[in-house]
Amino acid sequence: MGYFEVLEKETLKLYEIAKSARSKGHDIELEPEIPLAKDLAERVEGLVGPKGVAARIKELETDISREEVAFQIAREIVTDTDVEGRDDTLEVREQKSDQAIRTALAILTEGVVAAPLEGIAKLKIKRNFDSGYYLAVYFAGPIRSAGGTAAALAVLIGDYIRISLELDTYKPVDTEIERYVEEVELYESEVTNLQYSPKPEEVRKAVKNIPVEVTGEPTDKIEVSHRDLERVETNNIRGGALLAIAEGVIQKAPKVMKYAKKLKIDGWDWLGEFSKAPDPNADDSDAAPKVDDKYMRDIIGGRPVMAYPQAKGGFRLRYGRSRNAGLAAMGVHPSTMEIVEFLAVGTQMKIERPGKGNCVVPCDSIEGPIVKLKDGSVVKVESEQQAKKIKYQVEEIVFLGDMLVPFGEFLRNNHIMLPAGWCSEWWVQTIQKSESYQESDLDIKSLETEKIDAKTAFEISEKYDVPLHPDYTYCYHDVTTQDINELIQFINRELKTSDDPDLKAVSERIYDEGSGGLKLPISPEKRILEVLGIPHEIDGDELIISREDAYVLLNTLNRPVETEGSNTLEAVNSIAPVQIMAKAPTYLGARVGRPEKSKERKMKPAPHALFPIGTNGGNRRNIIDAAKKGTINVDIARCKCTECGVGSMQALCPVCGARTEPTSSGKKRINLANLLKKAYENVGVRKIDEIKGVVGMISEDKFPEPLEKGILRAKNDVFTFKDATIRHDSTNLPLTHFIPSEIGVTPQKLLELGYTNDIHGDKIEDPDQIVEIKIQDVVVSENCGDYLIRVSHFVDDLLEQLYGLERFYNVQTREDLVGQLVVGLAPHTSAGVLGRIVGFTKAACCYAHPYFHSAKRRNCDSDEDSIMLLLDALLNFSKVYLPSTRGGKMDAPLVLSSRIDPEEIDDESHNIDAMPYIPLELYEKTLDFEKPSDVLDLVDNVKRRLGTEDQYQGLIYSHTTSSIHSGPKVCLYKTLPTMKEKVDGQIKLAERIRAVDQKGVVEGVLTSHFLPDMAGNSRAFSRQKVRCTKCGRKYRRIPLSGNCSCGSNLILSISKGSVVKYLEISKNLSQRYPIDEYLVQRIELIETSINSLFESDKSKQSSLDVFL
Amino acid sequence: MKEDILLKFTNAELLIDDSAYEKIIQQENSVQVADSLIKDISSSNKDFFVLTESVVDNFLQQYLSNYQAPESKLKSDLETNYETQNETVKMPQSKLMDIPLDFHVLKDASKKSYTNGEIKDFTAYFNSRFQKLKAMLTKKPGLRESAPIKEAGNRDGVVNVVGMVNDIRNTKNNHKIMEIEDETGEMTVLIHNENHSLFEQAESIVKDEVIGVIGSKKGTLVIASELIHPSVPRIEEKTMDFSAVFISDIHIGSSTFQEEAFNNFVNWLNGDFGDETQQDIANDVRYLVVAGDVVDGIGIYPHQEEELTIKNIYEQYEEAARLLGQIDNVKMIIAPGNHDACRLAEPQPAIPENYAEDLYKLKNAEFVSNPSLVSLDGFKTLIYHGRSFDDLAMTINGLSHQTSDLIMKELIEKRHLAPIYGERTPLASEYEDHLVIEEIPDIFHTGHVHINAYKKHKGIHMINSGTFQSQTEFQKIYNIMPTCGEVPVLNRGALKVLKFT
Repeated sequence: MGYFEVLEKETLKLYEIAKSARSKGHDIELEPEIPLAKDLAERVEGLVGPKGVAARIKELETDISREEVAFQIAREIVTDTDVEGRDDTLEVREQKSDQAIRTALAILTEGVVAAPLEGIAKLKIKRNFDSGYYLAVYFAGPIRSAGGTAAALAVLIGDYIRISLELDTYKPVDTEIERYVEEVELYESEVTNLQYSPKPEEVRKAVKNIPVEVTGEPTDKIEVSHRDLERVETNNIRGGALLAIAEGVIQKAPKVMKYAKKLKIDGWDWLGEFSKAPDPNADDSDAAPKVDDKYMRDIIGGRPVMAYPQAKGGFRLRYGRSRNAGLAAMGVHPSTMEIVEFLAVGTQMKIERPGKGNCVVPCDSIEGPIVKLKDGSVVKVESEQQAKKIKYQVEEIVFLGDMLVPFGEFLRNNHIMLPAGWCSEWWVQTIQKSESYQESDLDIKSLETEKIDAKTAFEISEKYDVPLHPDYTYCYHDVTTQDINELIQFINRELKTSDDPDLKAVSERIYDEGSGGLKLPISPEKRILEVLGIPHEIDGDELIISREDAYVLLNTLNRPVETEGSNTLEAVNSIAPVQIMAKAPTYLGARVGRPEKSKERKMKPAPHALFPIGTNGGNRRNIIDAAKKGTINVDIARCKCTECGVGSMQALCPVCGARTEPTSSGKKRINLANLLKKAYENVGVRKIDEIKGVVGMISEDKFPEPLEKGILRAKNDVFTFKDATIRHDSTNLPLTHFIPSEIGVTPQKLLELGYTNDIHGDKIEDPDQIVEIKIQDVVVSENCGDYLIRVSHFVDDLLEQLYGLERFYNVQTREDLVGQLVVGLAPHTSAGVLGRIVGFTKAACCYAHPYFHSAKRRNCDSDEDSIMLLLDALLNFSKVYLPSTRGGKMDAPLVLSSRIDPEEIDDESHNIDAMPYIPLELYEKTLDFEKPSDVLDLVDNVKRRLGTEDQYQGLIYSHTTSSIHSGPKVCLYKTLPTMKEKVDGQIKLAERIRAVDQKGVVEGVLTSHFLPDMAGNSRAFSRQKVRCTKCGRKYRRIPLSGNCSCGSNLILSISKGSVVKYLEISKNLSQRYPIDEYLVQRIELIETSINSLFESDKSKQSSLDVFL
Repeated sequence: MKEDILLKFTNAELLIDDSAYEKIIQQENSVQVADSLIKDISSSNKDFFVLTESVVDNFLQQYLSNYQAPESKLKSDLETNYETQNETVKMPQSKLMDIPLDFHVLKDASKKSYTNGEIKDFTAYFNSRFQKLKAMLTKKPGLRESAPIKEAGNRDGVVNVVGMVNDIRNTKNNHKIMEIEDETGEMTVLIHNENHSLFEQAESIVKDEVIGVIGSKKGTLVIASELIHPSVPRIEEKTMDFSAVFISDIHIGSSTFQEEAFNNFVNWLNGDFGDETQQDIANDVRYLVVAGDVVDGIGIYPHQEEELTIKNIYEQYEEAARLLGQIDNVKMIIAPGNHDACRLAEPQPAIPENYAEDLYKLKNAEFVSNPSLVSLDGFKTLIYHGRSFDDLAMTINGLSHQTSDLIMKELIEKRHLAPIYGERTPLASEYEDHLVIEEIPDIFHTGHVHINAYKKHKGIHMINSGTFQSQTEFQKIYNIMPTCGEVPVLNRGALKVLKFT
């Protein structure tokens, strides 16, 4: 039986259990409420319908592209009239249009995101002032989650529907057009920036020409001045419509045009004028790209800058993919992470290029940092252990080490390739390609991994006419030719005193002497050695360069260089006996972004049960406290027994035990004490201190959960989310291969799970073999594992006590969870993805196959999402709990995809590299700043394998990683308790990293974090709302009575504390560092203004009086 | 009948003193006399008036003679009489004459900030606003019998209340729903769109102003029949025998500060710039009022440093002292704006001395809060920078930054300088609401919008004094054209605008 069949069989087994549990009638529905979908077509049907559409999609898919299917389906839905040959009524046509656009949009968004459900409010057929009928598409706020392209296509689908229904185009009048212009400006000034800010002319042009009315629900409480237009229902901003126009139709004009042409939809040619605008991402010149400091525009307190843009000593660009990289996750040496402390596995960084952000994963086959210790010695840090040992002696981080960037990242971001760092895997290929190389005469494999001595390095270079080995190539390009000559003169001067002017001879002598190395007095020239990256030790007032490095240095820089007319590297090459490559031609800037995360999801406050108790449970919403009142009055569902007609609020009649039907909801007196007592009896639990409920239900029907579920959740210390599922959230990281021992799984267990061979095709026997992960298997964090154990206990208790079935999981240890099915679900989406636990990581993240993350529409630049136990979701999830408000269906498992088809997931994942090494030609192309799309013939990636068996296996990596969770598991940001300490740490780190300007960081934190925060909060303080401590009612302005209408006390929503929270630390920073006077004065001014707001002139006087 | 006559004058917004009133009611056909007197006054375009006995006498003479002999020309005599009076008032060069200044600060909020930023301060602040404005409203006919909202809500029939507006919005059927409250409770008021004049009046109602409502109860709603603003009566015009100059928004330190225009202005004040008429005016100037934004400040908006020539707040004020220090023989009254080195929350205390030492050394400079009320030789001048214009322009249909005169008229009628809470204008939760317009000024001077405006409303000179800053990047984006270097001068009661660019 194949992998997918095994998963399916297990899944169906759980569905059967859930079915028999639900058939007992304790829940509102008698069956599990998550339909199973094998593929996109079934997901679409499950998510938006209509019934039977899945079959039609599959039928069409065999002949035409997915986009064409979407449009075809839309047309079929609206043109299929209820009565053959007779037009439907207006209402029916509106309903069908509504269905059509949702279905088509769901097909285009892979049936995962919530946009087709929540992004479109409705479709309406309205009339022009010339009395013709046209179609209006009403967008809602959540269209944002679909992305610009989908929003634009929704408009195009709307037009297609309009044409299919033979309706007229929308003819806007001037006031309506100007309304859009105003709204765009207002949205940007009052709500948030658009990804693309269209000029007023562009908006006018778009509105005039889009053949349907793009309108929508009000999204923000901001009124426009073009009010009370006859055809526009709201005077507030229509955020969804603006997104669809600006970030959709206008920003994605070329794409929309392409589709319109392909589908032969007329009337979109005008978009041509938008698409002429140059693509801001395209670097037209072939010269090195300019400094890009976008990632540094906001420097946040406690999140250190790791490297300035292109700064020497920053991260060195190295191409390749380790088994835990890709989808925006990039490798950094664990010793770098250890030394900077602010990077852990899964920490997000905002980076200079190729994209905007990444997630840090450990990779120990790349170069680590070079650091200067307090005693002055310079050390290349090569292992995590070494890093741990020396990290407190580090005075300066001269070089941060490599950042391993998969080729696919450049492809994904359509960023021109940048020159690659000189590395051993490149060097080896130059030998293989050289004319004098024959297979037999060198052991290439060992050359790449083993250390070779300096003498051999030179010999190889001479023999095969290849550049010098990367270990012996220093960062010559980081110093000037003058520096080089100074260094040479210095060494000459020192060595001549020992009467031996021939440096080459000296080098031979030192080398032959063995141990000693090259001894030089400590002098300013030491800095040049440091910048070049040449390690040296300190002995008294002497520095010692090892004999290997001494040999290389004296042989390379054997005489002074020409200082005129060439760069340093060229100058060095003119004197060196062998070719010297640029060690680090591309440095990447970065700063720390969001920290890694792995934590159970808790609402605030976190309930054990979705059971409303009003304010009766006190601040902690404790159902037990509420029950002490006996009978309470709450807003809750009303149900009526189908047999005896008795009213209740449960799915089973409390009198005769028959099923009930919900009738309405409203204020009702319930005897909570009784209910709770019964529930205790039902589940055989005697007493619990606290079971937390909710104040009120936010769902339409206000149907409560059975109290039994709350008791059992409280007993097992787990919490429910708004949809009655239990979630655990983690940062996403990719994983294509694992080592059984590192994820805590035995070969035996792996065999049971259907794994057979390791990457070399050998049978799995040894826990240290490397195994390719199956695409729906996930490695969750240990913390997640522990929580899921408690969830499994809850589910077992539930099965046994409430539903009267056998316990299912029977889990004792984490290992027992291996093989269990889970659901992965991302925010803003509505389709869960089936997964299977295969092991555990110590890191605070969820490692899974890139396809798994992509199927949830996530990448790995610090996106986090949730995992649920499948049986918990099947038993407890119900649509009846979902909020009735807009967006309520997001982040809920409305459908479950049981099988991942790489062709049907986000095409981001198609850029994953699958190469055992980066080919020599590709390295050479990077030096020419080629576009990644122009070198695809050199690359093996997922895209190439789509549709074949190879899409599931053989996605090999180029760089090994000995452990996917080496390096720190928690970054310093999270362990330091106060902002002051975080900022102190950040600034101390800035002082230590060569590629960072400490003063700049202090100023950056003040300018982009603390000052705006204080200014914003003190402004907000003087126009704030107040809130009731008891009932939570908010007032725009405090009532004249000073109290809430419920009689309770009111409190400020912005306290003095939040206004002044960064004042002391800002003042402190301004005193300790020589920052710009401008900033110092801004801090002073803010202090003056804060004091004026919070200190009474009276108290100042009276304190003076004391002295007088 | 007596009430009828009084009401007629009240409705015409004319004040009448006792002796004049006595005179009128002594007339045989007093009602007709009153009518025709009101008609005469309103058609004669003289917006000054407290009706005194002598005016009534004059009128009666004319009225009776008209009655008896229609060819009489007494009416025109009356007018010429006034003109000649004006002529005789004109005196040469008041500044050069050695008349001592009669300057007083009538109201100033500096060093009276008693708030600790606690929630009780917020309660106190809004209650102070409510009580002050309620006191004004309950003196008005129609509201003298007003009841607390809670009480009125429990009664049937006619409702007569004073409340602070919580919310006002349009309903689906395009009526207006207004929620008001006082310290006893809340009330929902419906303004029906078929009551056209009332509905139109309600268009300018904003949140947090205090308003009187007369109406009738219908279920839980009150259907409004009359909405009453605190408003001001028409004031009597005083004779002004000097000139005062009004400026604001100088923005010293900004790269768009027009130093040349400002120097021309200073030279003009000192008698060294402009043609003869202009110099004549200059010689007549006794006061210079600055309504905020003396300097451009620092850190006011993101990336401001890129648009500053002086990036140091102390140096900005030093430069201000250097420029203003050249002005001789004119009293300067300086209030802060949102760019000055003050707290943003209003009322803003005067510019602190430690930031503007050199300015404080100027002997002829006086520093007041924003807002403040000063007396310039008996002319009560209300100075307010104008931050609240941003909110009113956004909220009331038809108002914009270009028409700050209309905004000022709204503020005067509402008797509050910054009624809307919670939007752009930060309000400090002081025990006392200093932004209530308690005393009716003769002159109301504002700035902030960088565009000149002038209007005479019920006898009050309302002046917005423009700017000395040319168009900024921000204004370019929003297509705002500032009136740069155009200075309003109140020249013996007449407004003149002098250009210095």
